[in-house]
Amino acid sequence: MTLKNKRILIAKPGLDGHDVGAKIIALALRDAGADVIYTGLRKSPDYIARVAVEEDVHCVGLSVLSGSHIELLKQTLAELKDADAADMQVFIGGTIPPDDRDTLIQLGASAVFTAEMKIDDVVQAIVDSLKDQS
Amino acid sequence: MTQRPLAGNNVIDRRGLGRMLSRIMNASVDEALIGLVDSSDRTARRVGFTGAPGAGKSTLISRYAKGCLEQGNKTGILAIDPTSPVSGGALLGDRIRMDAVADDARLFIRSVPSRNAHDGLCDNAPDLLLAMEQFGFDDIVLETVGVGQVEYSVKTLVDTLVLVLMPESGDAIQAMKAGILESADIIVINKADLPGAERSHAEISVILGHRPRTADTWSTQLIMASDIDGRGIGQLSDTIIQHRAWLSTHRDHDDMRRKRRAYHLHSLIARRAHEVMHQMGDDIINQDLVGAFRQLASLVAPVDRG
Repeated sequence: MTLKNKRILIAKPGLDGHDVGAKIIALALRDAGADVIYTGLRKSPDYIARVAVEEDVHCVGLSVLSGSHIELLKQTLAELKDADAADMQVFIGGTIPPDDRDTLIQLGASAVFTAEMKIDDVVQAIVDSLKDQS
Repeated sequence: MTQRPLAGNNVIDRRGLGRMLSRIMNASVDEALIGLVDSSDRTARRVGFTGAPGAGKSTLISRYAKGCLEQGNKTGILAIDPTSPVSGGALLGDRIRMDAVADDARLFIRSVPSRNAHDGLCDNAPDLLLAMEQFGFDDIVLETVGVGQVEYSVKTLVDTLVLVLMPESGDAIQAMKAGILESADIIVINKADLPGAERSHAEISVILGHRPRTADTWSTQLIMASDIDGRGIGQLSDTIIQHRAWLSTHRDHDDMRRKRRAYHLHSLIARRAHEVMHQMGDDIINQDLVGAFRQLASLVAPVDRG
């Protein structure tokens, strides 16, 4: 139970039409012991920040398939800051070109995940990045 | 989301309340006792929704909450979902069904895992409700895990209990068996657009008609509702208001407080026993049962921090 008592929000910003990947990650995190909240499809960054704060999560996972990952990450981080929650980690996954990875990390993503990665590796990366948090 | 600017006490300190609820959720019994609030000056109208998984509790709650918000009331929802006994994790999905109201600035939704509680509620449920009351909500909705047949606990903690059933699911028979009907103030046959709704209505009417009744007893109300065609939603809100009016003249407030205190005490002791057993591991189990009980009972007393 490596993620016991950790609260994680899985969020779908933007206009993606499906959420299979987000749901698979949500279930894997639950099976690792986390309390996982899922927003459902097509949520705005300010709504995601509001839910993150109400649910007082340790981290937010954004799933983006639309190609707007850079803009949506920027907006979500800005909304979290506005909501006095700049300390929450944000990771991002989906269809993300390798070239964009460094940009996302520089913007403040704590990790970037792509569809080629094994689920176990994704979960382990989240476990590792939450270890530093109390 | 359009955050409407709100004056004075209408503002919800989301960050503050969010963090406070986490502290309470995670509190051990010793920690809970330190911050314990036994009663509150502020009281909200508390409505509980219970019923089998899939009966439509979350959707119905969002409709009810919409009505509360339209009255200008600050409304809080505590939605409890089951914790997996295998992984200890939980998927908290009730919020997805509440999209119809989720943007409202006077609404606060918190998803809570059931963790160690086995009564359809969660750890420290009484404290979570009191904390929300202290943040000034007018209306609070408590959604149970919905395992059924354990409804006494939620009944104790709320003013009005709504039981949500589906047509033709055998719920009517289950409800008779379990005595849930005695606990529910209002019974909703949800998804009434589905076949079999009329028959379920008739069956439950018969059961309710056979219950002993005195002039001082609230007569359990039966409502047909459907999110598809919207029927019954207004009637549900009206009936909750009627029940509240009935409570104001018929409820024994001292008795209610005693019952809430008894539940609170019982849940603290149960969790404390769980904590001790967890700490002791196999040591406590590897002895005869009477000895184990005596040892456990002696260890249940919390550490004196005075």
